[in-house]
Amino acid sequence: MSVPLPALTVNGRRLSLEGVPGEERLLDTLRWRLGLRGTKEGCRSGECGACTVLVDGEARLSCLALSQDLEGRSITTIEEVGSEPIGRAVQAAFAEEGALQCGYCTPGFVLALTGLLHERGPSASTEELLRDLGGNLCRCTGYVAIRRAVARARERLA
Amino acid sequence: MAPIELIAPATEAEVLSAVGSAAPGTVAILAGGTDLLGDLEHGRLRVQRLISLRRLPWRSHAWEAGGLKLGATEPLRQLETDPDLLARLPALHQAITAVGSPALRRQASVGGNLGRAAPASDLTPALLVLDAVVELVGPSGVRTMPVDRFLKASRTTELGATELVRSVRIPELRPASAYLWRRVRPANDISQIGVAVAWSPRRNAWRVSLGGVPPRATLAEDCARALGSATPSAAEIEQAAAVLSGSPALVSDRRATEEYRRRLASALCARAVSAALGRPPEGVP
Repeated sequence: MSVPLPALTVNGRRLSLEGVPGEERLLDTLRWRLGLRGTKEGCRSGECGACTVLVDGEARLSCLALSQDLEGRSITTIEEVGSEPIGRAVQAAFAEEGALQCGYCTPGFVLALTGLLHERGPSASTEELLRDLGGNLCRCTGYVAIRRAVARARERLA
Repeated sequence: MAPIELIAPATEAEVLSAVGSAAPGTVAILAGGTDLLGDLEHGRLRVQRLISLRRLPWRSHAWEAGGLKLGATEPLRQLETDPDLLARLPALHQAITAVGSPALRRQASVGGNLGRAAPASDLTPALLVLDAVVELVGPSGVRTMPVDRFLKASRTTELGATELVRSVRIPELRPASAYLWRRVRPANDISQIGVAVAWSPRRNAWRVSLGGVPPRATLAEDCARALGSATPSAAEIEQAAAVLSGSPALVSDRRATEEYRRRLASALCARAVSAALGRPPEGVP
């Protein structure tokens, strides 16, 4: 009988964890091992939200998670979040509201909001959603359009 | 540098064995990792092996024996979304939601926060006024002690080299409690100051603590005495706020000046007591 090798799933594909160092962060695995550069590195210390991904549907910071410690979990990044209904609605809301300037923070906002809508459902108020997005920073300070996108995403899903 | 090995034992006995058999300083315990990873990356901590607690059955919390028992690896987000937490232990709910963003709180845990003895922890001031008790498990058994004794200084605890924080128990519900804090940016920063207050029916007394001050959060017993009864008057609240603003724990560092902290201590104390009592803010300078 063979023992299954440690692995996690990224955007529906199996990723073997064989040979991945214990200290390697999910952020680095995604960007440098898998070439999924849509996940952005910002502060690398949990303060900016740019690296947000979904782990089993919940928003998590890929800079503060070790890949080996996510064995068996399922990761969704910005490259695939549009293949599920909530992620697709959030992406559309950001596009329709033009809620980006340089765009560096956008994947993190999209994933964080998708995770919150998974968790809270569309009954969460726009104010609550905005409060819970407090850990995502836009250094262009383009927050007005982001606020509109959050409200629009909620309306789309209501 | 050789890669670090990460292991995730499935039982408490296996974790204790892995910790106990390691040469001193060669292993680190991984709970959520939100605090540990920075030390690893910047070389402040050099180990050969990480022992993850993710498989242990410590990822839970329960209302029992008139209080709350928190498993060490329970994510903070799980606690804050418990529908009863805000009504039963508002100070703890407010302290938890003061920690980073929801995404960070899905990883961060109470056990990790205590075990790492983060100096500006928002949880510590709340745990102090709630008289939380830490349960440690090690090769020679289990011992318990109040959080106030467990935390010695910044990054220093009573934890033995082969011991782990297994759970935290809050012995009593304290619906009249609050935690207020001040910092530059809510979700991305460390508190310049935090003030926790709680009325303990069992002790028939207030508990007050100051957080965000070096070297660790501390109980302010003279301030608590000044509050007196369960329903202090506006004058008593004002007096208690004045006492707290004179605390020797309030000093200058890179996050805030002593003068600013003294003004904040006074204002937040008055507001926290009013919040705990469900009154509109009063006695605010």
